[in-house]
Amino acid sequence: MQPVKNLFILLFVLALAVSACGGNTVSEEPAEVVESAESVTEEATSAPAEEPVKEMEVSGDLVIYSGRSEPLLQPVIDAFRAKYPAVNVLLKAGSNSELANALIEEQANPQADVFVTTELLTLQSLTAEGVFQSYAPVGVDQIPAEFIGDGNSWTGLTRRVRVIMYNKDLVSEDEVPASIFDLTDPKWQSQIAAAGSTNGGMQAQVAAMQQLLGDEATEEWLTGLIANEVTFFGGHTDVRKAVGAGEFKLGLVNHYYYHLQLAEGGNVGVIYPDQGEGQVGLFSNATGAAVVNGAQHPEAAQAFLDFLVSEEGQKLFAEQNYEYPLRAGVALKEGVQPLDGLRLADVNVVEAAANFDAMFDLIERVGLP
Amino acid sequence: MELTRTNLSYQKIRSKISPRLAIAAGLVALFVAVPLIYLFVRAAGAEADAWERLLQTRIWRLFGNTLLLVFAVTSGALVTGVSMAWFTERTDVPGKNILRWLLAMPLAIPAYIGAIVHLALLRPRGGYVPQLLEQIIGQPVTTPSPFGFFGAAFILTLFTYPYVYLLSGAAFRSLHASLEEAARTFGRTPLQTLFQVTLPALRPGLTAGALLVALDILAEYGTVALLRYETFSSAIFVQLSGRYDRSAASILSSILVTMAILFLWGELRLQGRARFTQMESNWRPAPITPLGRWRIPAFLLVFGVVSASLLLPAGVLLTWSIQAFLDPEMMSTVFRTGSQGFGSYVWNSLWSSGLAAVIAVLMSLPVALLAVRYPNPFSKFISRLCQVGYALPGVVIALSLVLLVNRLLPFLYATPFVVVIAYVLRHMPQAVRASESALKQLSPSLEEASRTLGRTSLQTVLQVTIPLILPGLLAGGSLVFLTSLKELPATLLLRPAGFDTLAVRVWTWAGEGFYLQAAPAAFILILASALPLYFLLRREQIFR
Repeated sequence: MQPVKNLFILLFVLALAVSACGGNTVSEEPAEVVESAESVTEEATSAPAEEPVKEMEVSGDLVIYSGRSEPLLQPVIDAFRAKYPAVNVLLKAGSNSELANALIEEQANPQADVFVTTELLTLQSLTAEGVFQSYAPVGVDQIPAEFIGDGNSWTGLTRRVRVIMYNKDLVSEDEVPASIFDLTDPKWQSQIAAAGSTNGGMQAQVAAMQQLLGDEATEEWLTGLIANEVTFFGGHTDVRKAVGAGEFKLGLVNHYYYHLQLAEGGNVGVIYPDQGEGQVGLFSNATGAAVVNGAQHPEAAQAFLDFLVSEEGQKLFAEQNYEYPLRAGVALKEGVQPLDGLRLADVNVVEAAANFDAMFDLIERVGLP
Repeated sequence: MELTRTNLSYQKIRSKISPRLAIAAGLVALFVAVPLIYLFVRAAGAEADAWERLLQTRIWRLFGNTLLLVFAVTSGALVTGVSMAWFTERTDVPGKNILRWLLAMPLAIPAYIGAIVHLALLRPRGGYVPQLLEQIIGQPVTTPSPFGFFGAAFILTLFTYPYVYLLSGAAFRSLHASLEEAARTFGRTPLQTLFQVTLPALRPGLTAGALLVALDILAEYGTVALLRYETFSSAIFVQLSGRYDRSAASILSSILVTMAILFLWGELRLQGRARFTQMESNWRPAPITPLGRWRIPAFLLVFGVVSASLLLPAGVLLTWSIQAFLDPEMMSTVFRTGSQGFGSYVWNSLWSSGLAAVIAVLMSLPVALLAVRYPNPFSKFISRLCQVGYALPGVVIALSLVLLVNRLLPFLYATPFVVVIAYVLRHMPQAVRASESALKQLSPSLEEASRTLGRTSLQTVLQVTIPLILPGLLAGGSLVFLTSLKELPATLLLRPAGFDTLAVRVWTWAGEGFYLQAAPAAFILILASALPLYFLLRREQIFR
């Protein structure tokens, strides 16, 4: 019994220590609870903010739904909060489609202010459902027109490309397959890791392949991967760590996962597949953000989108996460291969998004884990 | 004979059922039943091609996978639980007073957290164990993979056997020595005695334990998702985060719930009407079996189970937590999401589970009062209906609540209270069972005396009944608190933005492959669960 008692003492000490680390955010919590119970208090606190004290003065809550995984968004939120300290950011991160489902479900009763995704197909198909309101962020003219939704329903932020990373201890560069279609080669049986059917990046790649190559070729590729005992993880971080640790020789990932693993000290290399004449080219997709129709905190939402498009925000994506900023003139992080010299697959986003359901049908039919 | 059959008929109803009580209990039952009914309506209303698509592709495989896992884990938990209880109750295995506690403590560890640790230890090539072996031997070693069916069965067995262990331990303890002695006197061998007398007497405990394990496995999401073994629960979760259509998820959910209800019904049938009771008066402990030269191997076996299910996970998590705390960079980035800090996760976990516990106990009272004091088909039906939460996996409750609350109670939608409602629905049966068993031990004559002395029925409940059964209610509340704290899928699906609990944090980080970052939340979650568990175990016979 004595050790158990000691455990409890430890528990309380830990809890205290931890609350101290959490800083003042801890004390904010009870207030938030009250707030959801009685909206009266919320009005009382947010009322002064509406008086135009300063143009940039934005306060209150900002509810962000993010399909971008949390560690890849938190630094940007931190920088945003440094600029807008009065904004209380409430983040819900999940998979693109899970949150898209929630947004559709909530249309009559909107909860989110901003939706951030890792690919454009979800944004495009939600636009068709009328989930977003149009907003042209400050500086949107610096973003290529093809990465802006119809009537400014969404704004593209960064690009990423699908690459093959490999463990240099296990594979030499000339051995690595030069095409994603070589991943079905039995030579690589059970030595490949990839993200599974709930991952936005993978979903978008499948949809893009369907649009470009047709259902049959895409199905063949997917069943080939499954037959080749590819291991499908929930997310790409698992993939890159597993390849870095030598659990797998190859990993199908977004390009920045290679850079992140390299920065962590992994002995990994990268191949930009399908670059040859007559080959399909690199599959790329873009991240984006949109303001939700009926957002309860439109000012904060707009300020956040402005920030994402601003040079500072775009730099963060490039610096922290090795992505390709869409804003003209923002430099790539050192070591990132410029897109200019690469051959990209020519995917029609609008068409691919229109057939999003066919993608779900396909991954279900082939039983992609 | 000490072993007697008692019938469960209680004293005949003297007073008529108070309408207020009946209405209160009826409302509670309605609250519990609505999500279930809604789900079946949704599933029945799904378009035919949704059914067809599922029937053609998924359902049969999911069915097989789920049943196989339930069967394997339940058998594994029965064997492990009973043998561990036998060692600590009936043999002279060294250190059994400490082992007895340690064997029950894994109940404080959610299986998905155990799975995270075992995964980090065992994953092929990259795990700690294979890497250690590689360093020792000097070349890569192939170790069994923790992924898939075998890994899931192994890990889930490790974290569910304590149900069986506790129930069979109590049965071993309370079983009268003379029963087995009589069997031996009549010429039965020890083995025959075990199978013909001891195990049958343990049967009620074993079936109850097996049922808890089986229902747990049906509802399990985190572990199977992590180990990539697809069951109904994880498939529903994938459906919910996939295409923009809820009907497939509704269909899968209704099948899953039907399976769970069949299990519940099966247990009722198995238990039958036979109850074994014995007099407390002449009780003396059964003789201890000396293990002789098997003492040390037996100790190692028990210690192995304790290590795998408790010491290793706790040790690894503690090490990771310390590592995370020592890394200033990790400290600054890791413990925040949006504007929320680590303290808010702890606080959210505690208050939502605590509130759920209070509500569940309060709601269980009218049901228990009705069922125990006025036994008739109506009250029995209400009480049974309130057990339905056992059969509602978290992911199913979440699906049902998302749809229901958004349509009928939009002001509640996306508030933490929906999460609390889910906890209450899911864990209500535990509160009802605790309240019922506490009430059964309270003689109605005390309440009658109070009535005779002029108190109204409400005054009697408040001034006599509740104070007297308070320890039982607290136990029920602790159980609800403990299980709500661990609840993952419903929290994941229902939490509003900015409302993260410890369980959600563990899952978010670990799901991304950041085990170090997940560790502090996991460790604190386990410590917070240990408190109510300790309180609950103190009440158990074997720990008195």
